[in-house]
Amino acid sequence: MNNPTAVPAAAARESAGSHDEVREKAPRKASSIELKGMRKRFGKDTVALDGVDLTIEAGEFFTLLGPSGCGKTTLLRILAGLEEPDDGSLLIGGTDITDIPPHRRSVNTVFQSYALFPHLSVRDNLAFGLRMRGESVAERERKVAEVAEFIHLGPLVERRVDQLSGGQRQRIALARALICEPDVLLLDEPLSALDAGLRGQLQVELQRIQKRLSMTFVFVTHDQDEAMVMSDRIAVLDGGIIQQVGTPSEVYEHPTNAFVARFMGHDNLFAIHGSQDDWVDTELGRLRLDMSEQRPDQDGWLLIRPETLELDVEIPADSNRLEGVVKERLYRGSRVEYRLDVNGQTLMAVASNLGQRLHGVGDRVTIGVCPEDLVRVAN
Amino acid sequence: MRKRTLQRGLTGIWWATLFFLYLPLAVIVLFSFNSANSTAVFSSFSLVWYQRLLGNEQIINAFGNSLILAVSSSIVALVVGCLIGYGMYRHRHRKLGWLIILIYLPIVLPDIVFGISEMAFFVEFYRLTGFLQPGLGTMIIAHVTFQIPFVALIVYSRFVGLDPTLFEAAKDLYATPFKRALHFLLPTIKPALISAFFLSFTLSIDDFVISFFTSGPESTTLPIYIWSAIKKGITPEINAIATLMIGAVAVAAILSLLFNRQGRR
Repeated sequence: MNNPTAVPAAAARESAGSHDEVREKAPRKASSIELKGMRKRFGKDTVALDGVDLTIEAGEFFTLLGPSGCGKTTLLRILAGLEEPDDGSLLIGGTDITDIPPHRRSVNTVFQSYALFPHLSVRDNLAFGLRMRGESVAERERKVAEVAEFIHLGPLVERRVDQLSGGQRQRIALARALICEPDVLLLDEPLSALDAGLRGQLQVELQRIQKRLSMTFVFVTHDQDEAMVMSDRIAVLDGGIIQQVGTPSEVYEHPTNAFVARFMGHDNLFAIHGSQDDWVDTELGRLRLDMSEQRPDQDGWLLIRPETLELDVEIPADSNRLEGVVKERLYRGSRVEYRLDVNGQTLMAVASNLGQRLHGVGDRVTIGVCPEDLVRVAN
Repeated sequence: MRKRTLQRGLTGIWWATLFFLYLPLAVIVLFSFNSANSTAVFSSFSLVWYQRLLGNEQIINAFGNSLILAVSSSIVALVVGCLIGYGMYRHRHRKLGWLIILIYLPIVLPDIVFGISEMAFFVEFYRLTGFLQPGLGTMIIAHVTFQIPFVALIVYSRFVGLDPTLFEAAKDLYATPFKRALHFLLPTIKPALISAFFLSFTLSIDDFVISFFTSGPESTTLPIYIWSAIKKGITPEINAIATLMIGAVAVAAILSLLFNRQGRR
């Protein structure tokens, strides 16, 4: 990799300067999206979307999150017009565009494979949408220069598509969509093909671009970390149904059901056998909850976030106390993960590595579980 | 030791193949420059037979016919084959195996069978309707039919090699169906089209069997002329024609290959 791959980092640093100027140049209306009763089937048996109702606010960075086959890509393709729903309606900016073909929608997509035209130069790729819309050569050149400046493409504009690295292709694909100034920008796992370091940089940059343009972004990913880092709100999908919609902290800290909890990376889920007042019985034992923190009708599972557990500290009388044995210790530098055995159940605990004495395998530990940190989760 | 023997054996086969493949061609090329009227003894270098060619009206006529036939049939085959190739690509997920076999069939069908059936058809068609008297017209139709599968397959394989999301990207970027064809489909497959054109051209220019059966009295092409001329024995003049044809076909084949490779890259 040569020089131009260093551009993202430079872009991140320099962007603070050009920030306000760009915002003033492009005062734009962002558009909201409304999906009503969206259904889509493939063949006889495959249900991709099973009645999706969803409202995405104007100017929001909204993420569709879920495992493969959950319907998130189908939903995105319906927004783009590349797939026709069997049933339901789609409104963008209050206008029903369910039956409008993709080339007449003010919606652009950053494809997972980038889909840059191999027969065109980078410059012509960038200008493609403008050219198809019939904008003049002068207008096209002005906008290409503007977007090249905005995304810090620099000398990439003069290259051939086959001379670009993965990260560069990704930036060109983004620029090619942004240059059209769509009402809504769709991003189909645009970072999944990149290595971890570059992906991290581009996550930050994408988020910054979205805020600067205050354009409505709909982002599809199966990576919950990526979703949490970037999004204003997340919709978790499974089996063609929206499981939960909320801010990253809502979805992570208060998942509505066991699927969302597991998908957000939670391991500590324990079946609730019975409950009385503010007590619940689980495989771990009897634990007290803060009922004001609970949503109504959430039963079935108790979620314990590993980072909320306290090991071997003074436990206040109104807190829960468990006894366990360290089965496994994973040293991760900034934090230490313990796999604990409590009443024959496995409980994960994470402690920040603040220089305290670490527990070894076989150690008996007391575990403080604060009632405010316990969340009941539906099936 | 045994591996070495095997390698030597294979190398021998390689040279023998080249020998039998190219020596006859080399002989023809060499003797086309012979000053003497002999196909056995080379006296000295001369362009006399090439000069003689230019003065032979029959040959010039045949050459003209060959060129008209090759160019016009290639153009028609390009348009039709391109449409078929795109159709095959667009509907590749459906069960169209039988259609693909129909397209492939002319490639494997013996030319003689193809030629005879075309001749029988055209003769009968002319007798019944008065249209399509055997001549350049019928030859063009016959050539187009055997060129189409090659064009269709080249175009199809170019489309298959493309990222399918490109088609969606073009839609997404405001291109109407017509603009998609003009600004995306055609430019993308341009190298494949050029390659297919030159391949069709070479197929047509050196075809004898099918041309022979579908031609009329006025539509002698070079291969047909050569065939009738060698009944009187091989003359250095024939060698000169053959050399020119080798040159033309080689150029077209190399161009076809180059453009195809450019498209793949």
